[in-house]
Amino acid sequence: MNHDEAAKLLGPYRDGELDLATCLKLEEHLAGCPSCQKKLEEEQDLVAVIESETPRFKASPFLKTRIVAALREEKSSADTVSWWKRLSLGSVFSGLAGAAAVLVILMVGFFATPGIPELDQDAVANHVRSLQVNHLMDVVSTDQHTVKPWFAGKLDYSPQVVDLTPAGYPLIGGRLDVLDHRYVAAIIYQRRKHYINLFIWPSDKESLRGKLYDVNTYHALGWTKSGMNYLAVSELGEKELREFVGMIQEQTTDSRPGE
Amino acid sequence: MMEQHRDAEGNQGQLDFEQVFLPHLDAAYNLARWLLRNDQDAEDAVQEAYLRAHKAFARFRGGDGKAWLMTIVRNVCYTMIKKLRSHETPEPFDEECHQPTGESETQETFRQKANAESLHCALEKLPDEFREVIVLHDLEGLAYKEIATVVGIPIGTVMSRLARARGRLRVEIIAANAKESLS
Repeated sequence: MNHDEAAKLLGPYRDGELDLATCLKLEEHLAGCPSCQKKLEEEQDLVAVIESETPRFKASPFLKTRIVAALREEKSSADTVSWWKRLSLGSVFSGLAGAAAVLVILMVGFFATPGIPELDQDAVANHVRSLQVNHLMDVVSTDQHTVKPWFAGKLDYSPQVVDLTPAGYPLIGGRLDVLDHRYVAAIIYQRRKHYINLFIWPSDKESLRGKLYDVNTYHALGWTKSGMNYLAVSELGEKELREFVGMIQEQTTDSRPGE
Repeated sequence: MMEQHRDAEGNQGQLDFEQVFLPHLDAAYNLARWLLRNDQDAEDAVQEAYLRAHKAFARFRGGDGKAWLMTIVRNVCYTMIKKLRSHETPEPFDEECHQPTGESETQETFRQKANAESLHCALEKLPDEFREVIVLHDLEGLAYKEIATVVGIPIGTVMSRLARARGRLRVEIIAANAKESLS
């Protein structure tokens, strides 16, 4: 790879968008090119500044209320019309009953997506619930030495809690949750304004295969390491969730003696 | 069609729209606000986008809901921009101007002086085409492939446009700092 080609690829390299072969070629060039090394460093600094300093505009609670009201109005009128057509009845009561029935089906159908393991669907349901019912955390702390001991006495195992604050995924707390028919540790991380629930429990029943599932715009990625199952769930994009998982995998140590 | 909607097996048509898309409300608003530069317009655009998304929900086949929603938000915003700016003279868009300088002394200043205010000003000054890729990638974390879908351009163009956008942002930040230190 020549210098000009390499210089163009520094941004995509920083963004993790290069395929493995190009990545290796670029790294080979980088090793012998101080000018590209410096440019890469500048690119990393620039993007870090953009990511950390640029203000994000948040939707006001009023906007959310407004949109939900507009959506429900539209949904109930659409449901009523379709039920009228189906039943060929002009009665308001049948329309309302129809709307209510459709709502119940919607609620039941939401998490049952064929082809995705039940475990991942349950984990996503837990994630969504933790955000909705305002029960994200039982222990609020950015200190792994506070979060880890909190689980002692609540679980019959001790989850490893790593802090990824320097990498932009700060630890914000922990929660006791139920998954795979048992109590599990949920460690909560934040990425900008998004949350990641990392569920950890012993893998005595089954191991997770490291496959990423896309469940209704949430992503779930599970794996097994040193006898523990890990399942990360978030509304983050696939790229960032994989980055997060990569760092957790790197930093959770093997529990075997001598390591 | 009706059969599909009555099927209780969990087809996409029945997934609760709100549970799928409301978690992306802040992302949608952030994009709209950066494109329209005004709270009121951004709120109207986001509401319009949600209603359009809701109408088109039957065509949503799972996958990346955020990118799907952002595509609609962006379309609504550009329609509004066209209306709002129809009486103004359009600003010429030139991707070639303002290439980054990248000199070491400016790099030093850059690290020290870049703050929320200078970033805000700098990003506001970028043309829409540049500002949106920065918002989509650096603020909202969309992958190149997703941005290609949202903006409707090839991945190679996403790559070069993002590079130019960042280059110009760097120049604008440095210029904002220079102005500040003079005054």
